[in-house]
Amino acid sequence: MHDVSIIDYKMGNLYSVDCALKYVGVKSIITDDLTEIKNSKCIILPGVGAFPEAMKRLKEKKLDQAIKEFNESKKLIIGICLGMQILFSKSHENGTTNGLGLLKGEVKKFDVLDKEKQKQSFNVGWRTVEIKSNNGLNCCMPKKKDEQMYFIHSYHVVPEDYSIQTSTSKFFGNEFTSSVKKNNIEAFQFHPEKSRKEGLTIYKKLKEFL
Amino acid sequence: MNIRIIPKIDIKKFNLVKGVHLEGLRVLGDPKNFADQYYREGADELIYHDVVASLYQQNNISDLVKRTSKNIFLPMVVGGGIDGIEQVEKILKSGADRIFINSSAIDKPNLIDDIVKHFGSSTLVVSIEFVNIDGKFMCRKDFGREETDKNLIDWAKETLDRGAGELLLTSIDRDGTGSGYDLRASEKIAKYIKSPYILNGGISSLKDIGDILDNSHPSGLAIGSVLHYNNLDSLFSKMGEEGNIDFIKKKTNYKNFKKITIKQIKEFIENKISHA
Amino acid sequence: MKLKTKYNLPEEIIYCSRCVMTNQRPSSLPEYFHKPDREGAHYLNMEKDSKGNYICEACIAHERKIKINWKSREKELLKLLDNHRSKKGEYDCIVPGSGGKDSVYASHILKYKYGMNPLTVTWPPIMYTDYGYKNFKNWIDIGGFDNISFNQNGRIKKLLTKLSVENLLHPFQSFVLGQKSIGPKIALKYKIPLIFYGESEAEYGNPIKELSSQRDTYYWSVKKNEKLYLAGIPVKKLMKDHNLKLGDIDSYLPIKNEDLKTSKMEVHYLGYYLKWVPQEAYYYAVEHAKFKPRPFRTQGTYQKYNSIDDKVDDLHYYTTYIKFGYGRASHDAAQEIRNKHLSRDEGIKLIKRFDGEYPDKYINDILQYLDISEEKFNKLCDKFRSPHIWRKTSNGWELKKPIY
Repeated sequence: MHDVSIIDYKMGNLYSVDCALKYVGVKSIITDDLTEIKNSKCIILPGVGAFPEAMKRLKEKKLDQAIKEFNESKKLIIGICLGMQILFSKSHENGTTNGLGLLKGEVKKFDVLDKEKQKQSFNVGWRTVEIKSNNGLNCCMPKKKDEQMYFIHSYHVVPEDYSIQTSTSKFFGNEFTSSVKKNNIEAFQFHPEKSRKEGLTIYKKLKEFL
Repeated sequence: MNIRIIPKIDIKKFNLVKGVHLEGLRVLGDPKNFADQYYREGADELIYHDVVASLYQQNNISDLVKRTSKNIFLPMVVGGGIDGIEQVEKILKSGADRIFINSSAIDKPNLIDDIVKHFGSSTLVVSIEFVNIDGKFMCRKDFGREETDKNLIDWAKETLDRGAGELLLTSIDRDGTGSGYDLRASEKIAKYIKSPYILNGGISSLKDIGDILDNSHPSGLAIGSVLHYNNLDSLFSKMGEEGNIDFIKKKTNYKNFKKITIKQIKEFIENKISHA
Repeated sequence: MKLKTKYNLPEEIIYCSRCVMTNQRPSSLPEYFHKPDREGAHYLNMEKDSKGNYICEACIAHERKIKINWKSREKELLKLLDNHRSKKGEYDCIVPGSGGKDSVYASHILKYKYGMNPLTVTWPPIMYTDYGYKNFKNWIDIGGFDNISFNQNGRIKKLLTKLSVENLLHPFQSFVLGQKSIGPKIALKYKIPLIFYGESEAEYGNPIKELSSQRDTYYWSVKKNEKLYLAGIPVKKLMKDHNLKLGDIDSYLPIKNEDLKTSKMEVHYLGYYLKWVPQEAYYYAVEHAKFKPRPFRTQGTYQKYNSIDDKVDDLHYYTTYIKFGYGRASHDAAQEIRNKHLSRDEGIKLIKRFDGEYPDKYINDILQYLDISEEKFNKLCDKFRSPHIWRKTSNGWELKKPIY
């Protein structure tokens, strides 16, 4: 049995998450096996792609149930990018789809105007992250302005209760939620496994925690 | 908005190769060594391009991508000869965050829609390699080998309409020459393309970068020769005797590309933007 | 039933086990001895190695090249150059060429590294490509050389080219003849006894014989009353049939042995003294003279930078495919394999994909120029196919024994 199960619903770059964990010395596995998941100390829900497709695949493999049950156990759940978004109540991507509902809030598309009044919605690149609270893994997120995290998404979460927000970032001047924490759930919109050593510190902290 | 500095690593089999005008496969070293170096220097992202994939009709770099993922924690865009969903999946599974397609998109534009449907817009970069023919920018496919009747702007717009997340726009005329990007092209791109795009080809000095930023707003700059030639890896013995290794054996300079580091580039850009 | 083979070609088709070349490949035969039946022609020799595999002469010659001490070769070159270098900066050597990567490399390195004073000499292509002409100008203007270009009488050029297509299926002959003779002819007139070519013929034609530093005079000089042929026709008959004077066609003919003796002329291969890597010559030409490759792939092969200034060259390679069963991709791949830039497997893949590609980009221009209809040209091609290489099927012509 492994300490960390990376939920495999065939979306996103799971291999890099696994590499990052192994790099810091965590026993991890990419899996969709329900028993393996149940017995892990922590699960990571990564993901890149479209929300409705993600939910569809999770349901197909009964992983949605598995995650909800895991949540009951109060063991650590980490969401990354799309994985973070799925934890919420619903998303407006390609219609309206319900998420896992472990966190209250909605997922909406970026709809901002740039300097030339052109619509922009694809946030790709390195952004500064402003820390709102540091009571979890996020305590190791960079505090220096020039240490940034890597984002790649067009949709962002809008939590019902802003107290779960642990950091924010900006897209064309508009502030959005870049990470959240509520009890045993912690999630990041950016990719810690793609954010150089700054991102790796989050995984290091996870190792300590385990 | 930050502009990402993205070393572009062209690959044939086990070697990093670098041509001029997308021609020539001069070996410069082990791609992983270069990637490690650029990671240390603060690169924002890496592009891996299997440059003979369209020639031999098979893509061969998943192993390199896997090895890179193990200790380089940077976003990676990987491409070269990709023309189907299965290939995309294989490369993403090896640790790439995004893939790029070029020739296959021109041959079957529906592939763009397909990939977007399966993997999302954010996973797809469309690469366009173009030549400047008296002010008209015409697309090429098959790594610069085949002409097409598509022009840069119309084709770029079409790929974005079909869902491509970002574009990689390469000036074939400038590739490998160190003579700066085609500024007529960047001007036109800035005027008509309103989605993120990475410029590639000929960028080799801070002045080149300044010129680009004066007339366009790329989301990223892909840089090849000037970085590679300044980081020549003489550990080629690991790779065996294959490929055009005559240059690296001689240990000579080429074109005297002025020394420039990723850090300098980033500082320059930051200064320029903050003074704008 | 014994298969008839054309032009004394070897009956059995054999491929080199190291590179991809076929034994059907003709070795250098001076064009002015070239008759329609190719009497006296030799073809690429194949030898068996210790394991019983065939190796071609070119690979054997190349293997010797690897063992060369290039430092001592360069010393030989320096000695030769020291004997000829003009102290006043007057022309001391001739470099024939057209601004392709090889002539750029040869002329540039002789001038700017070794301090020589080359006069470059050009026999222009039969039909310039526009990017080829631009490279020629860049050679002169950016590379920095004096150049004499010999613009041939267009009527004669057209006549000879047309006749060589009809008699030999060899559209390139007039160019080959002129290009080989212009260097020595100008050398004679300017009294410059040293001529430099780039690579040696060994790379392509007559390997073992040509491993020396100097070109065998057999290929560029003849006895006084030697019987010569142009377009496969005896010169005297050609002159009579078309009402030509000797002066009209003299530029296509080689110099005479006596002139060679009195002038003490020497033709050297720079490739003997300096290790020649064609792909590196490309990089060099880009760096020093802003050489640019063709803006699209050369038909019949996978590259863009080799021999791109003459529209007729593409057609020429197509005719070698018709006559001998190997095309431009085979030619390019064989050379790259020997230089270890390609594996044999890669070469075979490239040949399968590109060899013998119909050169439709320029063929209409050429046929129009020569007043030959496409129908006539195709009939000519069929006439020149040897039955031991080709078979006719309902889909058209097929190679009996391709390498793939």
